[in-house]
Amino acid sequence: MIDFLTSFSPAFILIAAGVISAFMPSSRVRKVLLIGAPALALVLINTVFYGQDANAFLGGKVSFAGIELTTMRIDILSIIWGYIFCVAGVLNGIFGLHEKCKITDTSALIYTGAGIGAVFAGDLITLFMFWELLALSSVFIVWRGGPKSYPAGMRYLAMHILSGVLLLAGLIIYGRATGGYAFDHIGIDAPGGKLMLLAFGIKAGFPLLHNWIQDAYPRSSVTGTVILSVFTTKLAIYALARGFAGTEILIYIGAVMTVFPVFFAVLENDLRKVLSYSLNNQLGFMVCGIGIGSQLALNGVAAHVVVDILFKGLLFMSMGAVLHRVGTTKASELGGLFRSMPYTTLFCLVGAAAISAVPFFGGFVSKSMIIAAVFEEHHWAVFLMLLFASAGVLEHSGIKVPYFAFFAHDSGKRVKEAPWNMLAAMGIAAFLCIYLAMPGPFGGMQYLYGLLPSEVAGAAAFNPYTGDHMVFQMQIIMAAMFAFTLLKRIGLYPPERRAQILDFDWTYRRLGLSVLQWGSAMWTRLGAVITHALRGMFGNISKRLYQVFSPAGAFSQDAPSGISAVLIAGMLAAALFIVYFL
Amino acid sequence: MAKSDKPKLSAKEIKERAEAHPMAVPFLWLGTAKVQKNFIFVPLFGMILFSVLGYVYPLHHKAPWDFGFSYTIIGFVSYSFVVLAAWPLFKLLSRPENYYGEDGDDAKNDDKGGQ
Repeated sequence: MIDFLTSFSPAFILIAAGVISAFMPSSRVRKVLLIGAPALALVLINTVFYGQDANAFLGGKVSFAGIELTTMRIDILSIIWGYIFCVAGVLNGIFGLHEKCKITDTSALIYTGAGIGAVFAGDLITLFMFWELLALSSVFIVWRGGPKSYPAGMRYLAMHILSGVLLLAGLIIYGRATGGYAFDHIGIDAPGGKLMLLAFGIKAGFPLLHNWIQDAYPRSSVTGTVILSVFTTKLAIYALARGFAGTEILIYIGAVMTVFPVFFAVLENDLRKVLSYSLNNQLGFMVCGIGIGSQLALNGVAAHVVVDILFKGLLFMSMGAVLHRVGTTKASELGGLFRSMPYTTLFCLVGAAAISAVPFFGGFVSKSMIIAAVFEEHHWAVFLMLLFASAGVLEHSGIKVPYFAFFAHDSGKRVKEAPWNMLAAMGIAAFLCIYLAMPGPFGGMQYLYGLLPSEVAGAAAFNPYTGDHMVFQMQIIMAAMFAFTLLKRIGLYPPERRAQILDFDWTYRRLGLSVLQWGSAMWTRLGAVITHALRGMFGNISKRLYQVFSPAGAFSQDAPSGISAVLIAGMLAAALFIVYFL
Repeated sequence: MAKSDKPKLSAKEIKERAEAHPMAVPFLWLGTAKVQKNFIFVPLFGMILFSVLGYVYPLHHKAPWDFGFSYTIIGFVSYSFVVLAAWPLFKLLSRPENYYGEDGDDAKNDDKGGQ
């Protein structure tokens, strides 16, 4: 049985579970599939990888149009993504246990499967197939947000289809030039490399290509946003780490990605949108680490993917719980919820501490590796940008989200604590956020280190728990917290107000739309003018023809028979001339 | 009624306790105006403490600008810049909520999801 199950990618188990779920009327059975399928996939991945001696397992080979596809490549880079995707799938399943929605259950299973399938793809064609499945399955989760999410879902789909088309174009050029489609290091100078970098960049939320995240994620349902926050962007990070590690331009793209969302996050009133900007900011740290490309940096990226999925998921879950109970995540309408939702508050605070890289919380270990790697390469400007972004993270995710939701002024809202399943999912995520950052023989940091792709990642290779490093980190955190309390006290902290904040999506949602509407109006006018002109021209012709050929026309008038004879003789002469001489 | 038998809690506090989640009752002091006003001393004390510790545990690998509490300054200036930049940016970038003509209020909508 195990041999059979390990003969193909574990992604197909999840996809099959998704298909079964689509026809399954019983919600309970669907929930078993939702939690059981990723758990089974986790066991299988572990069995396959540790059941052989090599550093990489290649399997699930399929022949397609004369090309051999490898649907299961489990190696030291992909396995960490595979593990965390499965864990996230289980947590998402637990978080959504209360929800009786076939569309969400089915889409979530297929979406998780597509993410795992893409991570284990050994070639670019398999990657492309799962890449597209990922987009198609996830858009239904966006649309579960209700009618207000339909336009955002369409924009989301358009961006991801564009990403898929770019990937397809890139892989065709690459395959023709190199004679193979293996998904290994590609590099920006490879044929089709720039197209594939752009395709990955769309999914990773590169600057100016990032708006689909803030547009679609906050509009999905309570559970939907939590599911969406995991797979798409982290898959893009994997693809970049696999194909473009050490590409210098990514250092600067990543640095910009860490900085610009900070300014938007402080303006936003919707806390799920704040977290979406925060997601962009954390992806920036990862992209920057991929650009550095050293062993320490890539280990930092892999570790940060793991803890980011946990703490970002935890923060989205806590806001999901607030939305579920209160009906809104607008900061201007929240406050004082710690009185009603103490467990959710606690879990949110753990997530906030983890993303802020407080010592003994997840982000401290992983983010420190990336920042240390940037430091080692003496990229001082980038290093300062990452420090600036770290203070910014503290503002939007470390302070703003928990403060305005659970503390601040008392909104007077008294609601029930989140359902048990939400608390269970948040509790597990919070535990892992702390456990994976704990050093020592009983801490989970050694397990996290054991999963990292480079062998140098032994506990001695990078130890964040040194006095100087902890003091350095705490100086930033305490100074930022003091700045917050001071600015709040003297009234310089901006109040939370309901508004639409313009971002780059204005160019296509407003400017682009206006240009299209103008073009459409001009086309209508031009059409009318052309129609009028043609109508006039054909009217004159038909009038002339009528004057000649109609019963009242010139040809119908009485004429002497001699003229007809002359005309017929002329036509006969013309016909003879054509037949004999041409 | 003897003086010692007088209730120690005000009517407002009794109501607040009754409305709160049982696990939150021991922490209701977090919501008092006095605590919120004086909370500033916690990060202030922490900031001073870690600034001093910066001289006890100087960084082993130094950036060109490093001194004992350089990261306290970077943290404070960065955070303040982000927050203060929000004032002009809000004026520049904020529009009415229905600016794009498609925004509705967020509402929970997954509980009644179709089977």
